[in-house]
Amino acid sequence: MHAFDEIKALRKDISKTIGCFPLYPPLELFHSMGFTPFVFWDLRHFINSFNTADKHLQAYACSVSRRLVEFICSTPDDIIDALFMYNACDTLRNLPEIINCCLQEKVNKPRIFKMHIPMAPEEQTKTTDYLSGRITALIRELEESFGVSFSPERFRQSIALYRKMRLLNEKLEKMVAQNIISYNLFSLITRKGLFAKIENHIEEMESIAANHSSSPKNKHDVPTASVIISGILPPPPSLIDALENYEIRIVGNDIATQRRSYAYTPGDTGDPCLYYRDFYHHHFPCPTLLYKSDQRLAAIKNLIYNTRARGFIFIGEKFCEYEYFEIPYLEKKLREMGVFTLHLEISVDDESGANYMTRLEAFAELLKS
Amino acid sequence: MRLSKIMQNDYLRLHQKAEKGAFVVWIAIVVPAELFSGFENVVYAVPESHAAMSAGKGVGPLQCEKAENNGYSPDLCSYARIDLGTSFDGGKDSPTFGLPKPHLLISDNNNCSLLVKWFDVYHREWGIPHFILDVPFCYETQKEEDLRYILSQYQDIIKIIESMSGQRFDYYRFIEAVQNSHEALFHWKRFLSAAAHKPSGITVFDSFVQMAPFLTSRGTKELAEHYRLLADETLENVSRGIFPVPDEKYRLLWDNIAPWHQLNKMSARLAELNANIIAASYTYCMGSVEGEIDLYNYDGADPLRYLARTQNFSVCPHGLELRFQSMKKAIASMGIDGIIFASNRSCKVYSLMQMDLLKRATDSLGVPAVMIDIDHADARKYTEENVFLRVEALLELIDAKRNALARAHHKEG
Ligand code: SF4
Ligand code: SF4
Repeated sequence: MHAFDEIKALRKDISKTIGCFPLYPPLELFHSMGFTPFVFWDLRHFINSFNTADKHLQAYACSVSRRLVEFICSTPDDIIDALFMYNACDTLRNLPEIINCCLQEKVNKPRIFKMHIPMAPEEQTKTTDYLSGRITALIRELEESFGVSFSPERFRQSIALYRKMRLLNEKLEKMVAQNIISYNLFSLITRKGLFAKIENHIEEMESIAANHSSSPKNKHDVPTASVIISGILPPPPSLIDALENYEIRIVGNDIATQRRSYAYTPGDTGDPCLYYRDFYHHHFPCPTLLYKSDQRLAAIKNLIYNTRARGFIFIGEKFCEYEYFEIPYLEKKLREMGVFTLHLEISVDDESGANYMTRLEAFAELLKS
Repeated sequence: MRLSKIMQNDYLRLHQKAEKGAFVVWIAIVVPAELFSGFENVVYAVPESHAAMSAGKGVGPLQCEKAENNGYSPDLCSYARIDLGTSFDGGKDSPTFGLPKPHLLISDNNNCSLLVKWFDVYHREWGIPHFILDVPFCYETQKEEDLRYILSQYQDIIKIIESMSGQRFDYYRFIEAVQNSHEALFHWKRFLSAAAHKPSGITVFDSFVQMAPFLTSRGTKELAEHYRLLADETLENVSRGIFPVPDEKYRLLWDNIAPWHQLNKMSARLAELNANIIAASYTYCMGSVEGEIDLYNYDGADPLRYLARTQNFSVCPHGLELRFQSMKKAIASMGIDGIIFASNRSCKVYSLMQMDLLKRATDSLGVPAVMIDIDHADARKYTEENVFLRVEALLELIDAKRNALARAHHKEG
């Protein structure tokens, strides 16, 4: 189902919706204040033309941002009440005002909330007070704009739900590694979760976990070749199919919509400032969280160690400078560890994979050798 | 002549002092270098400025290729590629023999976050500490809490340098440096004011090249003196009727970083068309705060606060609305006939709102505008003929607007 239809269907039962980007917004906070938060990401499956976006963004913007603009600008009226964005990259920071220009004609424009998340490491700069100030200001703005109110008790309940959702994701990820469910199914579920009510999303994941037997879906429960995939977005299904054809098992991921998003949930508290300090400070490294870059190699090594992956595939997003700056160093270090690496680049012009299938095949041979 | 001498001296001094044991800091372009003047023996280098100079001297593509051969994508900002290529090759082919290796890296995320990732490469490869100056993006006038946050980070920078270099920060030396910079900026604005004259007393190419010492000599008396003389000479030329494009027919505004590899060619070809790019958002922002083009005044009371208030002096950290406000002021005060939006694939922060800016400039201000494709430092991604086709189209638009106005006047008359 198209994300719009999902949201429309939900709209009957929910009063306030907030669309967020990029991937690590304060979802628990929005949820506790009566919003149903959606994360506008991984839009490849819904947006395949850029009629509106091309009037506002040059073609050298990454496909993520172009799809985001297209998606938001073609959202039917009255399904999104607010938009939220925080600083992540040089492309995204321009988007709130660009989106505002796109939405100029709309009668019921969603209100746009922006927040600066400190990007300096805590050991360098005391960022706590600044972040607390931003969280407090956000709560105040939401209260003033929507007549809602913050409650520590409801916040605790929301934290519990989101923790449950993240743990279930971990469980499903393990089921992929054990060949119990396919990575494509897992990706579909994580994508659906971005546009679902958290309660429904949890229900769906629980049912998948329960309905799939604990035995592997085919005899190859010990993979001949295992890899970790890494990138801003999960790879296109055609690439996953190809991996499965070559009997390469995805035993872990460093994908922004997946592991990077669900790897960590802070402890229980009714204080959102404390919670988000912990959340961002201990977040799984992502190139967009500038202060985490020192920990990225260690986090990846840990993943490799835990999953015993033999290979690591970087799924580069064309024009994403954040990923690009780290890849040469990571590739070098992983090779030093004896891990095979492959760097593929996905662009809007080639999402079918025609350009990289040969390289993938050669990589598969190498892994199995 | 005087400019080349300053630049030569800056790089020579940098290398000499570094060799004699000075504490070397590499900084991003908008990190306030006045802070380092507070120390007896701290020198700083600006990789972006060095990259611009390399591009101007024609070695941009060569250095970019070296970075690309080391696995860095050709889609990355060309300044970054030039710098990485230069550094990986030990400064070979650089017009300044590269830059002395740093003890500390200070980047910021207000000009762009890419810079943080770029400096991280050295942080990882060379094991050098990296300070990230975290600056909130400006969608509106800077907020007090953001200013205080920036201030607290300046204090952190001072403490880190004190502890790493073993030197004490001297507040009085620092105050003097801030005064020198402010004086330099005062004269910078005087120099740019020559563009308001018809015909203009300067071309944008003059102001592009004259920006360089602001990056390498910030906080010095020499810089203030250089800009004073530059402004005096330029205004004197105006009063004597000496103009770079005497038959100036089209007064244009440039929006983006300078195309460093094209300065001479582009200015000559424009002059043949009697067109003069007289100003740029890239140069009029220096010395101003977001949304403004006039000098932001320093009252001498609190130099750190002044630096924090002007931390966002360059265009990149400004949102669309603020950019439009300053552009509008520039258009009105300098009598701009048309705008060239240079869409620069190497600098997304500067470029990715230009389509809407262009629309606003044409729709609400009625100023003709075109978009051209450039790369500020990688000449391989620039096609002169395509660019001039668009520029000529702009001149035609300006002519058409003038003719329509003339017809309307005629009818009224
Ligand atoms: S893919 Fe990269 S450039 Fe694009 S929005 Fe994400 S972080 Fe930014
Ligand atoms: S992306 Fe733009 S602002 Fe950033 S370093 Fe490159 S030229 Fe400068």
